[in-house]
Amino acid sequence: MKYAPPFQRTNGFRPVLLTFAVLMILPLGLTDIYSRHILILIFLYAVLASNWDISLGLSGVFNFAHLAYFAIGLYTYALLSKVLHIDPWFALAFTPIPAIIFGLLLAAPILRLDGIYVILVTIAAVQLLQQITVSQSTYTGGTGGMILLPRLEIAGYRFSDDNRLGYYYLSLTLLAASTMFLYKLERSSIGRAMKAMRDNKYYAISRGVSEARTRAMTMGISAIFPALAGGFQGAYLRVASPDVFGLGFLTVILSILLLGGVATVWGPLIAAFVVVGFSQLASDYGAWRNIFLAIMILGVIVIYPGGLFAALQESWRQANRKKTQVIASWSRHARVADRLRLMGAPDKLVVTRHGPISVCDTQVGERVILFIHGNSSCKEIFHHQFQALRTHYRLVAFDLPGHGVSPNGRPDKDYRIEAYATIAADIIERLQLGKPFLFGWSLGGYVALEYAASGHPLCGLAISGTSPIATYPEDMSRAYQPTTHMELASTPIHSPHEKADYAWHTTRQSRTEALFAWRAVWRTDGEARRQAFAFLPSVKWHRQMTFLRTTQNPFAMINGPEDPFINHKYCARLMRLCRNDIVHLIDSAGHAPFLEKPETFNETIRPLLNMSFESQTNPSNNRGH
Amino acid sequence: MTSTLLELQDLSGGYPPVSVFRDVSLVFSPDETLGIFGPNGHGKTTLLKTVAGLIDPWRGGVYFDGHRLNAEGDMPARPSEYVNYDFFRRRRTQARTAAQAGLIYVMQNNLLFPELTVEEVLAIAPQAAFGRPGIVQMKDTVDHLFPRLKERWQSKIRYLSGGERQMASIAAGLLAMPRLLILDEPTLGLSPKLRVELANAIHTIRDSGVPLIVVDQNAQFLSNLVSRLVLFEHGSITREFKGSNVPDHDELITMMFGETRG
Amino acid sequence: MSFETLLFVLASGILLGGLYALMATGLAVVWTTLGVFNFAHGSFVALGAYIAWQVSQLAPTGPGFVIGTCVAVTTMFGFGMMAHFILIKPFERNPSMVLLAVIATLAAATLIENSLLLIWGPRDKLIAPPITEHVSILSVHINAFELMALGVSALTLLALALFLRRARLGRSMRAVAQNREAAELMGLNVPLLFALAFGLSAAAAALAGSFIGAIRFINPSFGVDPLMKALVVVILGGVARFSSPIYAAFLVGITEAFASFFLGLYWTPAVLFSMMIAVLLIKPEGLFGYQSKTL
Repeated sequence: MKYAPPFQRTNGFRPVLLTFAVLMILPLGLTDIYSRHILILIFLYAVLASNWDISLGLSGVFNFAHLAYFAIGLYTYALLSKVLHIDPWFALAFTPIPAIIFGLLLAAPILRLDGIYVILVTIAAVQLLQQITVSQSTYTGGTGGMILLPRLEIAGYRFSDDNRLGYYYLSLTLLAASTMFLYKLERSSIGRAMKAMRDNKYYAISRGVSEARTRAMTMGISAIFPALAGGFQGAYLRVASPDVFGLGFLTVILSILLLGGVATVWGPLIAAFVVVGFSQLASDYGAWRNIFLAIMILGVIVIYPGGLFAALQESWRQANRKKTQVIASWSRHARVADRLRLMGAPDKLVVTRHGPISVCDTQVGERVILFIHGNSSCKEIFHHQFQALRTHYRLVAFDLPGHGVSPNGRPDKDYRIEAYATIAADIIERLQLGKPFLFGWSLGGYVALEYAASGHPLCGLAISGTSPIATYPEDMSRAYQPTTHMELASTPIHSPHEKADYAWHTTRQSRTEALFAWRAVWRTDGEARRQAFAFLPSVKWHRQMTFLRTTQNPFAMINGPEDPFINHKYCARLMRLCRNDIVHLIDSAGHAPFLEKPETFNETIRPLLNMSFESQTNPSNNRGH
Repeated sequence: MTSTLLELQDLSGGYPPVSVFRDVSLVFSPDETLGIFGPNGHGKTTLLKTVAGLIDPWRGGVYFDGHRLNAEGDMPARPSEYVNYDFFRRRRTQARTAAQAGLIYVMQNNLLFPELTVEEVLAIAPQAAFGRPGIVQMKDTVDHLFPRLKERWQSKIRYLSGGERQMASIAAGLLAMPRLLILDEPTLGLSPKLRVELANAIHTIRDSGVPLIVVDQNAQFLSNLVSRLVLFEHGSITREFKGSNVPDHDELITMMFGETRG
Repeated sequence: MSFETLLFVLASGILLGGLYALMATGLAVVWTTLGVFNFAHGSFVALGAYIAWQVSQLAPTGPGFVIGTCVAVTTMFGFGMMAHFILIKPFERNPSMVLLAVIATLAAATLIENSLLLIWGPRDKLIAPPITEHVSILSVHINAFELMALGVSALTLLALALFLRRARLGRSMRAVAQNREAAELMGLNVPLLFALAFGLSAAAAALAGSFIGAIRFINPSFGVDPLMKALVVVILGGVARFSSPIYAAFLVGITEAFASFFLGLYWTPAVLFSMMIAVLLIKPEGLFGYQSKTL
């Protein structure tokens, strides 16, 4: 299931709004013809390049006849308005029709072809179109092209007046409409069919996606806006020349697409600024300009195939990491009192093999319980247990790296379940906790299982909101409900709305009830979320399952029946396979029963704790329930 | 005195980001025949491809005859998702180096070169053996081992049957003058008759003194052939049997899948 | 029209076919070995022609053409090998290598074309042909140089075919093309063999370029036309066998000769491209091919 929130709730909303607002008021500052001309070209080329992404990026159809749509739009406008003397506005509106027909016709020969053959056929089709255009010189002006095409005007107001103000806003409207169209398309059923066909053709076909229909759709839909852009250019520059069929124009648009990065609307827009701006600045250098563009294309695909947009995203993620690091080190010192009040014990940094880790330890008692929190949370999530159980037990909890007030870790080494288990082992060793009882919540449940399965000392184990699995990724789909939150759990950067959504659904506590838990989501290093999921395939899941099947230690799953994530039937079935085990359900609790219903939870876990610690003092009687 | 021919030290690898096998250690001396047995999809082939140098290992070392085949150290992390590291970083292992040192790996279900004739394939096969003597005798040996190939000398590989193709693969492997021959599922998908023929040929190869590592699903064939057997499950070696302790087919199946539950 | 005219058109078609065969085979060698389509092939032809022209200026009337051609072919062989390491090798393990290679070679074509423009300027150039006589065969007057070009092309293709069939290096090249992993396991030097294929392809392009440069005028962007012709030939014939593009080259050459005679220059490309699209619709693997690509 794909997470697809409404646009105004995503991270992209504000930048888009801001960009278009700036572009709307930009003509107030830029009044000269030249800079407006460059901006208009940028908008046109951005439309062309970003729509190419429908075939090249979204559908994986290597359509190199994309610029023919532009050419068809251009010549349609020219022929209709100049030769047939049809109203320019109508001519402009009509431009997509022949382009779509061309696209659909082209879809027929490429239907049976793949990869390189599609490129060859589409390039040949463009050549064919060019030959036809040039050969009909009576109408099209042959190699010389057509000049003095009719311009656009409304009620006598020429769009070229006021230093081309009309054309500026018309091209901006075209860009806005095209961007919105692309955004909607990607999230529509057609867009999903295209992606499915690209990623796994035969699987998509077997699930009822029609290949012919999807390809025809791709070719037709990607023709609309390029044709409009072509018609617009005809009305704006008032020239139609066969240069638009050439490899030179192809190279320019291709460099915009590549420099920007495929599979994004933003990339081509930014890259259009760079490439068109550069082309205009270097237009006096002719051959050198083209050489530079070619070298740039080669450089981008050889060194950094993601393009500008990917670079932007990567640096954004880096900045986010820095930000969370600053928040963590600030609150480590500034919010000591808050944490002390919640937990009743101070925390300190303990050095482990995976860096310093913030540990809270009540220090008193022989019987130790170690708590491990979940994804995008913090150790304070267990504060009810720290208040209620401290009289009988020594309670220890820690912030995973990148979470709470622990510093951020190294993405490739520290943010994985095995590393978290090693941290738990190090803390148990450094604080001399002996054989503790482990309680893990959600991701922490897997950490506890991994700790136990790798043979570290413990006397008992309980997990909450965790479905143990034996194989990855097959069991994942059985163990969890298909909710969009799984997607959120692995997304490095959340929008504020997504953060709130995540905090609410994992804890079911409002911001005022559990401020610390909400803050923890804001603080969590995005890389921790991303990497923990990226490394899931390398966990030895079967070993955890084998541990569950063979362990002599008491074990329980304590879940809330209203947990929106885990599949309760799966858990119940799983538990029947294990040797000693119980599934406890805490009534009307969700994903975090220990936080939502602390009293019931504490009562539920007490017998298990007693059993675990008694089996320690009296090893012969460890199968007592 | 037995020396070590092949040694794997805590070898881990896979197809990033998916780790397929972890911390595999193995010592193989030239006077033994090793069998590897394990379920499908548990990483045997990926391990062998890594040993043969087709895939870069993540961690650990592959030592052949005392020389390290892969680069020192761990595979460096790729902090950026988008940078084309293939352009900046050299491969950490080369199949060519392994083959020229005499470590010959015969792939599972080897398609060889479909448009080349048997003669052409066997003519380019000895290139890896450059500098190792005995190629003339080996050609004789191959002729005796696989008389069928002589009959199909001018046929293209794509017209051969599965068994004949397997014979051609093994013959090509032998002509590379192996100091260690690794066969990956040599009897996979063959008819019982061909299987016997091929099994006999592999026994002959073993008896001629070529050190062998054989992966197969046919436990009976393995337990007759090998002097040591390892079980490979979930990307690691889980058990090992030597000499007369090598279990037969039924025992193996019981070990792998446990007694059936009531 | 008379029988003589018919023969003349046929002869010019065959001569054209010889050059196309040389170019298309170069393209096919890279395609079948590396699995990528080299869009810089046309600019390789142009670069080869310019090198030959530059060198031939040393002795414009005497042996200039021969020396120029030899220098062009050797230089382009090295250039082609280098091009492989820049244009293809960096992303040979990338899943979308086909697309990336197309883009890289397109960029390389722009790069070469504009460099030619910078170095030699936009003016048309002609390499002085070594022989200017005409010979008469079956009462058709044929330019002796064009006949020589046809002969040399045929010999080159024959030599290339023999190299791929008989020589161990050639066989290894074919092996690499068919199964890269198995070739690596046999101890073959795969990157070097790939580079060799690219080098041979570029050398063939240079040879074709210097012939074209001595038959008609060349300018920096003339490579587009040979590229498109080679593209049509390769698709029309398929690449199943070494000989498939050669047959197709003669078919295209003769068709072109007749089309330009009867329909005029403007319509000739349209006829060729329509032919190609028709073939792709009916028999995508090519007229002389089956579903496989190999040398």
